[in-house]
Amino acid sequence: MNPKDLFLLSFEALVDRKVRTLLTILMVVLGSSLVVVLNGLSAGQAAFLEKQFNTLAANVIFVGSGQRSLSSFATSSSNSLIINNVVLGKIKSLSNVGDAIPEYTGSAQVNSQGNTQRVTITSIDPTKLTEELPNLEYVDGSTVKPNDRSSAIVGDTVVNPPGASSSFVTLGQTIKATATYSDSSGKSVTIMKNFIVSGIMKPSGNNGIDRSIIVNLDAGNELLHKLNKYDQVIVVATTPDDVDTVQQELTSQFGKTLGVTTPKALMAVRVQAASGNAAFILMVGIIALVVGAVGIVTTLYNSVTERIREIGTMKAIGAQNAEILALFLVEAALIGIIGASLGLIIGIGGGYVMSIVTTTFPAGGGQPIHIPPIFAPADLLKVWLLSLGLSVLAGMYPAWKASKLSPMVALRRE
Amino acid sequence: MRNVTKDLVVEKNLQDENIDNDSIALRAENVSKIYDTSAGKVVALDKVSFTIKKGQFVSIVGPSGSGKSTVLNMVGALDRPTSGKIYIDGIDIFSMNDSEIATLRNKRIGFIFQSFNLINRTTVLKNVKLPGIIAGMSSDVADFRALKILEALGIDDKKNQKPVNLSGGQQQRVAIARSLINNPSIILADEPTGNLDTKTGDDVFAMMKNLSHKFKRTIIMVTHNPELAESTDRSIMLRDGRIEKDVIN
Repeated sequence: MNPKDLFLLSFEALVDRKVRTLLTILMVVLGSSLVVVLNGLSAGQAAFLEKQFNTLAANVIFVGSGQRSLSSFATSSSNSLIINNVVLGKIKSLSNVGDAIPEYTGSAQVNSQGNTQRVTITSIDPTKLTEELPNLEYVDGSTVKPNDRSSAIVGDTVVNPPGASSSFVTLGQTIKATATYSDSSGKSVTIMKNFIVSGIMKPSGNNGIDRSIIVNLDAGNELLHKLNKYDQVIVVATTPDDVDTVQQELTSQFGKTLGVTTPKALMAVRVQAASGNAAFILMVGIIALVVGAVGIVTTLYNSVTERIREIGTMKAIGAQNAEILALFLVEAALIGIIGASLGLIIGIGGGYVMSIVTTTFPAGGGQPIHIPPIFAPADLLKVWLLSLGLSVLAGMYPAWKASKLSPMVALRRE
Repeated sequence: MRNVTKDLVVEKNLQDENIDNDSIALRAENVSKIYDTSAGKVVALDKVSFTIKKGQFVSIVGPSGSGKSTVLNMVGALDRPTSGKIYIDGIDIFSMNDSEIATLRNKRIGFIFQSFNLINRTTVLKNVKLPGIIAGMSSDVADFRALKILEALGIDDKKNQKPVNLSGGQQQRVAIARSLINNPSIILADEPTGNLDTKTGDDVFAMMKNLSHKFKRTIIMVTHNPELAESTDRSIMLRDGRIEKDVIN
């Protein structure tokens, strides 16, 4: 039997059982599309993280106080040190330290022409922003003068919130920032400050900066009620090669009372976490594919049982065992090919839809972060081949059973 | 694969019986079949021997359990005998492996079943072509041959229909057409009129008789119907797994 006839016979058999075939294909589609979506989102997240860290200067070290560690990955201790000007001075005095830039950070509600959004307030000496972000550029305007307490630089995501049709603010416009804190009696106190937008940043690739409004130190200290207690210090080593030395010196001098980390270390931890996450995601996807494969086994096994007389007839008229085996394997392969191909298309579409959904409805009500999925052709090919391979593998047992049927026994079966 | 030594033995036997080797379509030698069942061993065939000449229309008759179907299964190479040999065109068919037997079934044996055994999801034409496709015949040649046979059997107008939409008689004609596509040495028919009314059964039988006499086809037909059996060239009557009578009609 030539391959074309084999294919046509298998295809007709699948078409003959349309509903069952479609449901089986659906199982493969679900499995493969799930793997594609998860892989795409995972790859997108990894690329996003890498981009974030690539925006940071290579020679900076983040030093966080016990009040607020830089991130969940930074070391922190209950016996933490409050970073004030004395501590800042000590940090600056360390060898191989070029500069130490203090920073206040907090959250505030910002009102612009009747629209509001919650943003991160980053309070830093604006002239030193490029130490942290060497690639910083402005769409419009420029940086704020160090002593200008009423001007602000606005990040790209604040200006152009995802889903908005017009800009939230424009250059020269006044915005009102409102922050709250609890006083010693536990009473909520609101502080409001107006700022004039003096600069609009280009997308930096650093999501934290893009979602921020940057004001000078005094303005931030006042608005966020920080009482001269810095949230973090960006320590600039003389050269990138000195980063490890400075980190050791900081640890040596301050022990675990300060949280010290570098972009490199953060990246390593996040990459490790992302790898674990990706492995977990892959397992989930493979389980979904295996469920699809079980569906194929069930479908083809039922098909063999129902077509037992047909198999007997085929054998009686001369079909070889290998041809019967091939007929059922081609059916499994066709289910796999159609299911995997549709799964890829739906998975890619689903990845983009999920990316938009998570941007529009951010988890925990936080600020939206748009992380586009990444679908590498090699990854897609792997998923396609895996789906096809599992489908053919799932077809093996029913096909083998059909091929081994005695023609006499099969012909007798009602 | 043809077993030369065994074939020589057959030729010697044929010479002993003064039968021209070339005129023999099928020969069964001491064929026995014993089934192991939960109730013990059941002898379905007990040293059955017969020879069928080319172009002969032979009926195999007997009561239920006499071994008719077992003979057909052995002759059709659907099952292996416990002992004994069967030769088709001088070839010891059970000296072959399963793959070679499948090829033999495809090229040298045509099957007609009581319940037609057609594939209902595909067309009449494709059903008829199927043994040709399995034999590796090109689609054009298979189409040409299938259409010629369907035309000869008077059902070429049904070529694009599904078998399930045809009458029983028409379906059996399709099955006959399928059995002829590879020009087999013998055609085995298992109660071919069993599922048909008397008139249609007679028509189908007449068609088979015509095939045998006009086109010199060797046909072995299992039947319960004594009238049909008498209308064949020869009747082999089985009882309890043995040949009770072998009658030239």
